[in-house]
Amino acid sequence: MADEELGPLPAGRHGFSREQVAHNQRERLIAGLATAVAETGYRAVTITDITKAARVSRRVFYENFEGKDECFLAAFEVVVGHIRELAQEAVADAGEWPTQAVAAARAVLLFFAAEPDLARLCLVESQAAGPAVSTRFHEAVHEVIPYLEQGRGLREGERELPPTTEESTLGALVLMAGRKVAAGEAEQLEQLLPEFAELILAPYLGAEAAGRLAHSQAA
Amino acid sequence: MRALPGKASRRPPGPEPVSRAASAEDQRHRILEATAELIAEQGYAETTIEQIVRRARVGYATFYKHYADKQEAFLALMDAAVERTAYEVEEAFDREDGPWPDKVGAGLGALLKIAAEHPGVARACLVEAPTAGPEAAARHEAALKRFAPLLRPGRELNPRADKLPESLEETLAGGVLWVINQRLIAGEAGKLRALLPEALEFLLRPYVGEDAAAREAGGASHQATSA
Repeated sequence: MADEELGPLPAGRHGFSREQVAHNQRERLIAGLATAVAETGYRAVTITDITKAARVSRRVFYENFEGKDECFLAAFEVVVGHIRELAQEAVADAGEWPTQAVAAARAVLLFFAAEPDLARLCLVESQAAGPAVSTRFHEAVHEVIPYLEQGRGLREGERELPPTTEESTLGALVLMAGRKVAAGEAEQLEQLLPEFAELILAPYLGAEAAGRLAHSQAA
Repeated sequence: MRALPGKASRRPPGPEPVSRAASAEDQRHRILEATAELIAEQGYAETTIEQIVRRARVGYATFYKHYADKQEAFLALMDAAVERTAYEVEEAFDREDGPWPDKVGAGLGALLKIAAEHPGVARACLVEAPTAGPEAAARHEAALKRFAPLLRPGRELNPRADKLPESLEETLAGGVLWVINQRLIAGEAGKLRALLPEALEFLLRPYVGEDAAAREAGGASHQATSA
């Protein structure tokens, strides 16, 4: 993946070939935004920073986006779409639900570890990018709830888990990953996998089984 | 109580005399209250000092006497809110003399109560803090660390304590704050206090297991409905 990388947007699976990116100004701007945001942070970044990084004119920027929020949102959607695909691929080869869940978590962590700028864009800057983006951020995180809820089918006994179980789990995962990225340690995100796996699985398998599986799967 | 006719109060007409210190305190309070309301209504980035002084009914000079800029006012607001919240939570935790899970329930109840009673401030601090620059984000992080020592004694109840991750307490607090955050974003502050049983179960489960956590949550749900 690294050798065909174009700017901060990973080439390949997000659907844009190198030629498309080169010829498509909109995608160039999205990549430019990711570069510029990684350098200066979203709050400080200017349209000029974005157009410079994308090597297109301001006129082209305004033909494609109304402002930096809209451009950010477009970049965010590209990354979310890409992560969704990676997670689906990981789940497809992974067997039972608990191993699927760990495989998906691993795929997401590996992606962000390989793309620290995009990790920062998605997990840190998205929260500072105004209400439209933070709403999308929360929606994107909550997309995962139905997948986690599948784990409820594996529970023994009659008792129902509280309705906010998955929401709390995801909030905790986002916090853990976001702190690591904010500390400039995105490359080490994979280290969080055992902890992630245990937190995800414990409500469905019990702490002990979840801990065993988390450490064997995450190894 | 109204004065009887013919028995006029001896106080001279006009505003009550206040000391200079009390009035400065009052100005700061009004400025911070206005800042919280405006940020909760429209976000940090959209909020201007002009709007703050108008809402607080103070002059620009008064604003600048207390705060250098909007960010300084917001940081002062966060500091006050975090201090107050931590105080209430720690107080409730200490006052409960039952076993540790009961103490956690009491502290969590205090947290949900204060967020429900001050949704504007809670929203400004939780939802908007990340947008208000690195100092605000650092305070958010520090606030999270304040709760960790209250949860940590739970490790003694867990036979697998040595396997628990070092950051577990902050992670769990983060999960609960995320859910509070979601309710505030949705404008559902009224539903916050009803979260007590399930949020408590989430906090306790990693330490005492599901059965004990669920029992404790069941006890807390009586409190949540009778409170």
